Amino acid sequence: MTINRVASYGAQYLDAETLEHLKQTLTDLYGLKGSVFEQYVKFWSRLLHGDFGPSLAMFPTPVMEVISTSIPWTLGLLVMSVFIAWLIGNFIGGIAGYFSEKRWAKVLSVIAATIYPIPYYFMALILIIVFGYLIPVFPIIGGFSIGMQPSFSFSFIVDLIKHAFLPSLSLIIVGTGWWFLSMKALSSTTKSEDYVQYAEAAGIPQSKILFGYVMKNSMLPQFTNLALSLGGVFNGALVTEYFFAYPGIGQTLYMAVTNGDFNLMMGISVFSIFAIASAALVIDLLYPLIDPRVRYR
Amino acid sequence: MKKFWRVLLFVALIGMLTLTLTAQVLPKVPRGDLLIVDALHGRLAKTDFNIWKPATQAGNGIQQALMDTLWYVDPTSGEWINALAAEPPIYNEDATVMTVKLRQGIYWSDGVEFTADDVVFTVKVQIENPGFNYSGPFSTYVKDVYAKDKYTVVFELKKPYPRFHNFFNVLIYGACYIMPKHIFEKVEDPLKFDFNPPVSLGPYVLKDYDKAGYWWFFERREDWQRTSVGMVYGRPKPKYLLFIYYGPEEKKVLAQAQHQLDCIFDLTPEAWDVLRKRNKYSMVWYEDFPWAWMDDVAARGLCFNLTKFPYNIKQVRWALTLAIDIKDVIISGFNGIERLAPLHEAPTTAFMKYFDKPLKEWLEDFTIQVGDEQFKPFDPTIPEQIAEWAKDQGYNVTMAPEDIWGIGWWKYAPDVAEKLLKEVGFTKKDGKWYLPNGEPWKITLVGLPAEIDSARLAFAVADQWRKFGIETSVETVEAGVFWTRWSLGDFDVGSYWPASASGIADIWPLYQGWHKRYVVPTGQAASSNQIRWTNNIASDIIDKMATLKPDDPRLMELSRDLFKVFVEEMPYICTVINKKFNAYDQYVWTNFPSAKNPYMSTAWWWGTFKFLLPFLNFYCTPFHTTRSRSDDYKQSSVLWCTVSRR
Repeated sequence: MTINRVASYGAQYLDAETLEHLKQTLTDLYGLKGSVFEQYVKFWSRLLHGDFGPSLAMFPTPVMEVISTSIPWTLGLLVMSVFIAWLIGNFIGGIAGYFSEKRWAKVLSVIAATIYPIPYYFMALILIIVFGYLIPVFPIIGGFSIGMQPSFSFSFIVDLIKHAFLPSLSLIIVGTGWWFLSMKALSSTTKSEDYVQYAEAAGIPQSKILFGYVMKNSMLPQFTNLALSLGGVFNGALVTEYFFAYPGIGQTLYMAVTNGDFNLMMGISVFSIFAIASAALVIDLLYPLIDPRVRYR
Repeated sequence: MKKFWRVLLFVALIGMLTLTLTAQVLPKVPRGDLLIVDALHGRLAKTDFNIWKPATQAGNGIQQALMDTLWYVDPTSGEWINALAAEPPIYNEDATVMTVKLRQGIYWSDGVEFTADDVVFTVKVQIENPGFNYSGPFSTYVKDVYAKDKYTVVFELKKPYPRFHNFFNVLIYGACYIMPKHIFEKVEDPLKFDFNPPVSLGPYVLKDYDKAGYWWFFERREDWQRTSVGMVYGRPKPKYLLFIYYGPEEKKVLAQAQHQLDCIFDLTPEAWDVLRKRNKYSMVWYEDFPWAWMDDVAARGLCFNLTKFPYNIKQVRWALTLAIDIKDVIISGFNGIERLAPLHEAPTTAFMKYFDKPLKEWLEDFTIQVGDEQFKPFDPTIPEQIAEWAKDQGYNVTMAPEDIWGIGWWKYAPDVAEKLLKEVGFTKKDGKWYLPNGEPWKITLVGLPAEIDSARLAFAVADQWRKFGIETSVETVEAGVFWTRWSLGDFDVGSYWPASASGIADIWPLYQGWHKRYVVPTGQAASSNQIRWTNNIASDIIDKMATLKPDDPRLMELSRDLFKVFVEEMPYICTVINKKFNAYDQYVWTNFPSAKNPYMSTAWWWGTFKFLLPFLNFYCTPFHTTRSRSDDYKQSSVLWCTVSRR
């Protein structure tokens, strides 16, 4: 089913004649005049000039303006959350994988396995109820307080962090579970490799084996995953941003989908494709620095 | 070690307390000065306040706080409010000239006086710049518009149109608001102008807003006396208005439970149930069961695309109506919280008075032909039956059942429905219905989950029709798809809300769209008459109504005749009014309209909302002036928003 924003305008309370006139006007303004092919050609010519047209749901704000307003919030929230979850998950997961027979490692595995499948929205709701209602220590909406002016002042930065704390925490908790489990599995496998066994037999200190042999080698696929996760930032943490009313790109995408705002959906999708492709390229270029086996000689 | 843990605990507590005091997003103004309203349109990231452009949304505070027009009619009380106009419009004999006398002493927020020139400019600029919201109708109707003097505007019309004033009359939601000539006349292209910062003609000015689109913060004008609201009803009580989008309803419930959201737009019954148990100051309309506001100006219906077989057959539509046990639908689908809509209009308090109650006797005598017999399908006892059920559930029913649940609905008569279907060639085998060509009869009912009652109605009716033997499924789709299908006629049966109402008895503005001239083929976008109803009698009545002035007594008779045609033909099955759980918190502000005191509509997303603000009462004192804590004492979690409840 193709959504027709102009056709769906009939839901408004306007008299029939006025509605008819409005539809004609909107068809013009939305650039929907002409055959589908003509519209398609127009779309590409606009796109090549970096113009996605106006947002249909927030008309007449241009799509580029909506995206550029939203993207810094998502970048700030997700990049930090992904990095923190990645660091914590991999560090603890690597150690737990190396010491997989220890009791505490098994307990951590159970905790991670319990947390990891929790849906983001459920975690978000729990955090909102606990820290937004029962112990109201964090705000439950927006990126900063009403009345604050964005600046590099200490008070604004503190305010910013406070607003990002709960959404970020929900992402970190669930994300850490995933990074922990994957890293634990990787380091458990690496631990049984011959070169690790040999290093242990040679009496190399355990800490060096853990960080220099096991974790270093286990990290390689995690770097790839990290790059892809960062590339996916353009999709936003849709559910998290929706629940916390965080002004990022995920919430914008949700709104675009539910309102049939094609231009905005297209804009976010195009940016997302570029972001993921660029992230993959960057990681390909950086890989030789991480893995000496793929260096060009 | 113990000492260390104690210190740590102390630091943590201090930290939590500090965070608690600064945890909220609300502006740093005394809570008692602030009314916090749920932003209907949700997030609207825009920096453009030129609401005369098409497809712009004004319901997030812009039209309530900043805009004004000539007249308003409150849909609940039916009260006509002369806003910028000093009196109702004056038409000449053949309705080709409309004269409007304006109030004197109204000023824009930048100190410029509002005059007839602003009204003339508003019309002319839209005619001269095609693409504005009202460019089309103004070009169609206006031959000339001019200022007779500083406070009198004359509209000369191209053809008689006794309802031209409705373009400047907020009947439902909004209308054409007046533009500031002194601002727009300096602009090269008014269609590209963003009108930011906006100059206000309403009682507030825009103080700040979120570019990300979550909130809009307004401050009462120092010179509020020089606005229509100030002149008509006095000072709007809240000094500040905050329209804010908290996100999903769970968060709105939490926010109101913390007294940080005074007005919420339409909760689900489940959310309302949670809220009323958490916050004893939350209220909707009735103090007790069924709580909900049942005066919204739309009613839900099961709509057929009448160009599609078998829904083009009247007997089929009537059979489907009689196969619905509405009492069961209301109880199982809506927990008894709905008002019945037997006529094809929204039975608001005003419309019940104009149409439902006067037509009740006709409905009781109304018959349909079933074989050789006449059958009376109307059942006036259903409201009493629902009231009895409610009492059995332990609810208090404090008003007459008819005033809560309406005048009645259609009988549950599956045996009659069966006869009607068999008359037109349908067959029933092993409890299943088959079309005249022998194929199984399958119905897909389209519903909108975002409008929860639309989906609930679809599921509840699907149950009824399945029980009757029709293979019925429900297809829920997102809003964009839902309305597109509505417009294109891409549905067999859909759970839409096609019936409407307003505060005036003249239904022509709302019902002209049912004229057969608006029928377009399926697949082509329809602005009106999306069910593609071609009925000569109804169209003739609409044509006759068009020629009469809105205050012509013959209009009432014609309106009732039109509803009789609707009932006889049953082009769609009108079921229940669009009830709403618009919860308001009486912790800080009281005297919101209610069933006990229905002085005005509670629709805070309409332009009419500005006229409600002077009636609110403030029941709190700033924290620093509180001398003792009463039993009822509550402390908000925000220092600058802390209040105590008397």
